[in-house]
Amino acid sequence: MDRGWWWKFGLIVAVTLGTIWFLIPSYYSLAVMDRAQRNDLAALQARLPAWAPPAKYRLNLGLDLQGGIHMVMRVDTKTALQKRTERRGQQIATYVADKKLGEVTVDTDPEKLQLTLTAKDPATMDAIEKDVLATFGDFKRVNRNGATLVLSPDDTQVNRFREESVDQAMLVIRRRIDKWGVAEVDVRKLGTDSIQISLPGRSNPEQAKELVGTTAQLEFRMVDDTNPQVFAQMFQANPPPAGSDITVTEEGGFPQLQSKSREALLAYTEGKVPENRQVVTECIANPLKKNECSSYRTFLLDKFVPLTGESLAGADASVNQMNEPEVNIAFDPAGAREFEKLTEAGVGKRMAIVLDDNVQTAPNINEKIGGGRARITMGRMGARSHDEWLGEAQTLALVLKAGALPAPVTVGEIRQVGASLGDELIKKGGLAVLVGLGLVLLFMGLYYRKAGLIADIALVLNGLLILAGLAFFNATLTLPGIAGFVLTLGVAVDANVLINERIREELSHGKTAKAAVDQGYDRAFWTIFDAHVTALIAGFILFFTGTGPIRGFATTLIVGLLASLFTSIVVTRVIMTYFVHGRNAQSVSV
Amino acid sequence: MQILKNKTNFDFIGKRKPAIFISTLINLAILVGIATVGFNYGVDFAGGTVVELKFNHPVTAAEVRERAQKGGLHDVSVQNIGSADENAFLLRMGGVTQLNEENAAKAKTAIESLGSVRNVYADLSNGIINFRSATPLTVELIKKTVQDSGTGVQEVRVLGENQGGTGIDYQVVASGMADKVFSALNEGLEKPDFEQRRVDYVGPQVGKQLRNRGVMALLYSMVAILIYVAFRFDFKFGPGALLAMLHDVIMVAGYYLVSRREFNLTAIAALLTIVGYSVNDTIVIYDRIREDMAKYKGKPLAEVINIAINDTLGRTILTSGTTALSLIGLLIFGVGEIFDFAMAMLVGILVGTYSSVYIASPLTIWLDERAAAKEGRHGDGMKHEPKAA
Repeated sequence: MDRGWWWKFGLIVAVTLGTIWFLIPSYYSLAVMDRAQRNDLAALQARLPAWAPPAKYRLNLGLDLQGGIHMVMRVDTKTALQKRTERRGQQIATYVADKKLGEVTVDTDPEKLQLTLTAKDPATMDAIEKDVLATFGDFKRVNRNGATLVLSPDDTQVNRFREESVDQAMLVIRRRIDKWGVAEVDVRKLGTDSIQISLPGRSNPEQAKELVGTTAQLEFRMVDDTNPQVFAQMFQANPPPAGSDITVTEEGGFPQLQSKSREALLAYTEGKVPENRQVVTECIANPLKKNECSSYRTFLLDKFVPLTGESLAGADASVNQMNEPEVNIAFDPAGAREFEKLTEAGVGKRMAIVLDDNVQTAPNINEKIGGGRARITMGRMGARSHDEWLGEAQTLALVLKAGALPAPVTVGEIRQVGASLGDELIKKGGLAVLVGLGLVLLFMGLYYRKAGLIADIALVLNGLLILAGLAFFNATLTLPGIAGFVLTLGVAVDANVLINERIREELSHGKTAKAAVDQGYDRAFWTIFDAHVTALIAGFILFFTGTGPIRGFATTLIVGLLASLFTSIVVTRVIMTYFVHGRNAQSVSV
Repeated sequence: MQILKNKTNFDFIGKRKPAIFISTLINLAILVGIATVGFNYGVDFAGGTVVELKFNHPVTAAEVRERAQKGGLHDVSVQNIGSADENAFLLRMGGVTQLNEENAAKAKTAIESLGSVRNVYADLSNGIINFRSATPLTVELIKKTVQDSGTGVQEVRVLGENQGGTGIDYQVVASGMADKVFSALNEGLEKPDFEQRRVDYVGPQVGKQLRNRGVMALLYSMVAILIYVAFRFDFKFGPGALLAMLHDVIMVAGYYLVSRREFNLTAIAALLTIVGYSVNDTIVIYDRIREDMAKYKGKPLAEVINIAINDTLGRTILTSGTTALSLIGLLIFGVGEIFDFAMAMLVGILVGTYSSVYIASPLTIWLDERAAAKEGRHGDGMKHEPKAA
């Protein structure tokens, strides 16, 4: 045996051992761990031996095999754009009137997203056009005809708005899911206007639909500060049950109740506040994990909701002269009137901004605010970095916008699989793999004898490589993926059939065993290569166009084909060479 | 052991004309069938709701249907799946939401009775009702009104004041069908005697999107593979491989058409896999043709091709056979779409083997003859009918 052979042999041994080592987390996750803990990476990590690969490299089961809900939500950006264009039209009309440029009527064409401005006095139109185009930079002129001016939103603005709408919807969905305490959720953008949500282990699709499908509710409500000590007194007069983690914390002279559990706070305060008041919680963000709440604090709010997000025209984060981040909000005309009334009556009180039953912030009202524009300064910087501080302002602006511009979210797709069905599918899938694999192994061994057994070894290694590959890429094993697995093994063994047939043919031409094996591999190589490449092309296209389980199928196919190039050509050849060269054999068992 | 003891000497090329004729006929029939009868589209493409239920006691499909209808669920198809003693059923509903024409009309009357309401418009495909009211209404009132009229409500949205300030726009979003299945079947029971094992719901727009994407994926992969084949082999091999591919895809589509099995995303995956696999067999033969062309210089192409096909016949049968063998487990234990997938693959493997021999190779000869005729020389394979070599 020459040096090259030993190198290759060493590589194969290393790959085989590495593959088996790499499958340890998968083995623990599927066979050792409790099924309830299947998705708990920390628990898996704790259970793994120290020398095993990290827990994140375990084989994931698709939602169709472990049970859960897969949803695709469509963000109706078109409706949101129409609403926005309409609102901008109103703003333009108000602006023209306020600046005393003249008097215009504004019509919206919802299909073309165009605004038609018609001036009462045609002579004023030139000045209006100039001023409006300079002030409302997000609109461009389509055409002008005497007293009428047609505007349409700038394309880059439209695209940015679309993207923002989807981001806002994603943010709202994330926060809601967090509120429900669903672990291991995956929320991601799908294409340009859809959001994909995976909820492993959840079983009620209607509940999930309600959870993510309803429009965000943004409310402006007054904080009841008539008795600042209300929570402290409640705590003293009526201590929470033993074992509860509810404590009283104080910030800015208003004692609040604090707990790790929102439910505990709501249960404890229930019935202890007047009829027309309501306890609403604020989420204290976990400094380490952005989307999680480390604890909750209570606010006592008026039940009456004087103003909702429907009246909000926009929100933006910026930095003031003191280099403090702040959020600027603007109301539509009706909202502005209501807001003015509220702030006039509430000077010195706090107003809570509530999104989906979560207090986002509760700024103090310093004075009556007219004109429909308000500024929320972002409290003290405290232990935060300036970037974090600014980031909070941006998040609040996004949250406010999410309430302000409810791009309606509709359910595009829901697929739910119960856990019991998942278990059954795993069992049946496993049996299907065993039977298919067993038949192929048996056939190869019988038909090609020793060469067949060599191909069998390669095939088993191929199977292990596919599983390890899926684990490495953090891909998920789905039911169609199992079908892909079986099919790939069938295709992989094709390569060895081609090689062995070729060796037989060369032998029948009277070649020596050694020459026949060499020729067999050399001649069959390009055929096998071409066959694999074409199958890979189909696999990649399936991967890029498919979603969910189908994507799992494509991944399995791709990984399997790549593995098969290695196992059926390199691995079998090294073993074959051992038998014909190493022993100087005159015959070969094909 | 050997599958073909001796070298075969079949005259494949001589029989190419009847083979192509019959294949073309079957392909055309399938295409006509798809255009006229159409596939049995699953929810993936048609939109709709499928619910899989498993009862904890013996029950027949007819009983399930009756119970569903009693609970107010019409237009539902009930199908037994798995073995009879599993008591598992698939319930299929065309509608995506609870809003159908009848419900919408009732809901409309109910909403209009709320007072100064105008422009009530029900969008059945999306399951929403839009309307405008001159006076503000509470969300609770709207929800109750619509629900009392017989349509489940998921949400009532306040869309805000309209532009002229003449009213406030509202939107009612109807609940999904899956919701209704549970309540309809559960009616009059203390606790459900069934388990909801699976729900597939696909909205109409998404369905259309998925279908378009599937068709595009098929086209893309065919073009990509064609380019690869043209690049790796001679250009004249390309069309043969493409036609063989088309032939196989249409045949497998024919399986879905004739068997009336559900045509869904998994079916598209099967078709795409066939596209990749079909060309496999073709390549094995092409490779050999190329090799033999160099070996037997001067022989007519048709003859060379016949030799190549005969030489590779054993492995063509074996490779198809081993792949088919691996599918047996899926055929025994696979249920629903996985069984369909395995069956479609089996059909694809069989026709793929056939098409490599009878479609891809003869077309190469034909193209060679055309090229020869154009150049005014004697085509290699045109004048002499091939004799088996």
